[in-house]
Amino acid sequence: MGAMEGIAQGFQVAFSLQGILFVLIGVIAGTLIGMMPGLGPISAIAIMIPVTYGMEASVALIMMAGVYYGAVFGGSTSSILLNAPGISGTVASSFDGYPMAQRGEAGKALAIAAISSFVGGTVSVVLLMLFAPMLSQVAVSFGPAQYFALMFLGLTAISSLSDGSTTKALITATIGFMTATIGLDSQTGTSRFTFNNPNLMEGIDFLVIALGLFAIAEVCFLIIKRKDTSLSDQGDIGSLRLSKEDFKEMRGPMTRQSFLGFLLGVLPGAGATIASFIGYISEKRIAKNPEKFGKGSIKGLAAPETANNAATSGAFVPLLSLGIPGSGTTAVMLGALLVLGIQPGPLLVQESPDVFWGIIASMYIGNIFLLILNLPLIPYIAKILKISRPLLISLVIIFSLIGVYSISFNTFDLYVLLFFGVVGYFMRILNFPAAPFILAFILGGMMEQSLRQALTASGGNVMALISDPVSISLYVVSALSFIVPLIRTRKNKSAA
Amino acid sequence: MLKTMNQKVSIFLIVLAAGYLYAAYNLKKYPYVPVDADAVPKVLGYLLIGLAIILFFDKSSETEEDKEKRNVPKKEVPIMLGVGFFIFLYIFLLEILGFVVTSALFIFGCSLFLGYRKHVTNALVSIIVPGVLYVTFTYLLNIILPQGILPF
Repeated sequence: MGAMEGIAQGFQVAFSLQGILFVLIGVIAGTLIGMMPGLGPISAIAIMIPVTYGMEASVALIMMAGVYYGAVFGGSTSSILLNAPGISGTVASSFDGYPMAQRGEAGKALAIAAISSFVGGTVSVVLLMLFAPMLSQVAVSFGPAQYFALMFLGLTAISSLSDGSTTKALITATIGFMTATIGLDSQTGTSRFTFNNPNLMEGIDFLVIALGLFAIAEVCFLIIKRKDTSLSDQGDIGSLRLSKEDFKEMRGPMTRQSFLGFLLGVLPGAGATIASFIGYISEKRIAKNPEKFGKGSIKGLAAPETANNAATSGAFVPLLSLGIPGSGTTAVMLGALLVLGIQPGPLLVQESPDVFWGIIASMYIGNIFLLILNLPLIPYIAKILKISRPLLISLVIIFSLIGVYSISFNTFDLYVLLFFGVVGYFMRILNFPAAPFILAFILGGMMEQSLRQALTASGGNVMALISDPVSISLYVVSALSFIVPLIRTRKNKSAA
Repeated sequence: MLKTMNQKVSIFLIVLAAGYLYAAYNLKKYPYVPVDADAVPKVLGYLLIGLAIILFFDKSSETEEDKEKRNVPKKEVPIMLGVGFFIFLYIFLLEILGFVVTSALFIFGCSLFLGYRKHVTNALVSIIVPGVLYVTFTYLLNIILPQGILPF
């Protein structure tokens, strides 16, 4: 069967009444679960697996793709409205989404998120269809040395995540990296910085840190400003309509990040989180007004939202064409495939073309449904902001606590959450940015692993890290991404 | 001696890094491992000390806006500590009383403490939100939250 025939068959499955119905169910369920505290795409897919028992494989997977998309978008809403990112992929969305919501443009922020997600998702599905087999070969060629270089590139972006002092950004990043070293060392089994506390053996979960530094720290500020009724008194949450200028501003980030996000999604281990951070940072770097980032910039919200959705499709490349899950979410998806009796891999497209192309086709309609469903719901979702401050504070605390508890079932993590809330509060009042902490925490652990794997494989030869063109080009880009902003700042200073 | 806030923070960071390095030097070592578990932590510890020293001598002055950020009204401090105490109590009682009861008490008590005076709305939200969350998590999502003293 040729590719065109396969695509036609895929669309036939996806556009059948049954296909549309299950994509709809998947998108709704995914969005609702994604909005729940602490639950992201992994939980959403895991929860929906039992629902697929007995279903036809192609239909079940179409529903799962909808769940996946819905959950990624659902996570963005709590990030934008409450500064409480439920999953790592939506942290970067809060940088500009939350300030927008704070100044009464919650409707617009959610509309930008929905449209950017739609564009990122749709463009990347086209790319997935065109390049799936070819890209999977490139992705497997990435070894530990190349991953180390990629993580290094991610870390050089730290200076961009701070408005003020680069030293302070580097300090928070270092502490973030240090926090990532807590727990059992995966290579030697050494217990590091756990003080013999069994609760720390597995390290600290990302969610504990994200909710502590962002949501609980924000609660402290909400307590101080609880009598300020400016936000809840507003008659409206702002218009959902985006002006021509808004679209013009979104166009660039959406186009660039659809491609970049997709490429990063293809790389196993990179995924939506790194794509969203790199998307945000790269747009800030090339923006004419980078000082607007972090204060409610449209570009600053459109970039990570496009990138994380594009990466979501990208992650399907190694899963469908090689049977290798590139992220936690696609690993659960692999489980779902196996439950349905499907073995993903190079033979999938020949043996079950209806499944392979059905999933891809369902992503198109999944994205359309996501947009159709979410835009009209935005005014209702954004009503959260109109809740009286004291009540909102109590609810944000409960959501954060239960979000953490539902992943660890351990009250120790709740104390750690409170600790990071206090840390986050002091960081804010002392002007230490929280974003580099999160970025270094996420990348640091992976970076250390890649470094040690690369050096172990080469018998300790450091040159192995710079022995191939991919790594070298990544280091060159890293160096440029660090030096260019410094030169630009110097020039601006001397011009002033 | 410590004139600026940056200098005070940098001293704290140096102490933190020293403690971290002390723990890193005491990590178990294995022979024949090219990069042992202590390598990266040692680099990070020294890096933090270096950055803290740079911060200590950082001459950039704070803006009025920065100083204003630190200026927390004195009467708000006990309120923040009070909410902190409520959270502590919540965590402590969560597995004893159960999710629904503890959360209902927390939402009602904390909102009241923060000055919310619509008691009926407060009571309704305190019961409905934990109830809906409990049913959703436990029965629909199969994520078991603490049942506590309630029979379901």
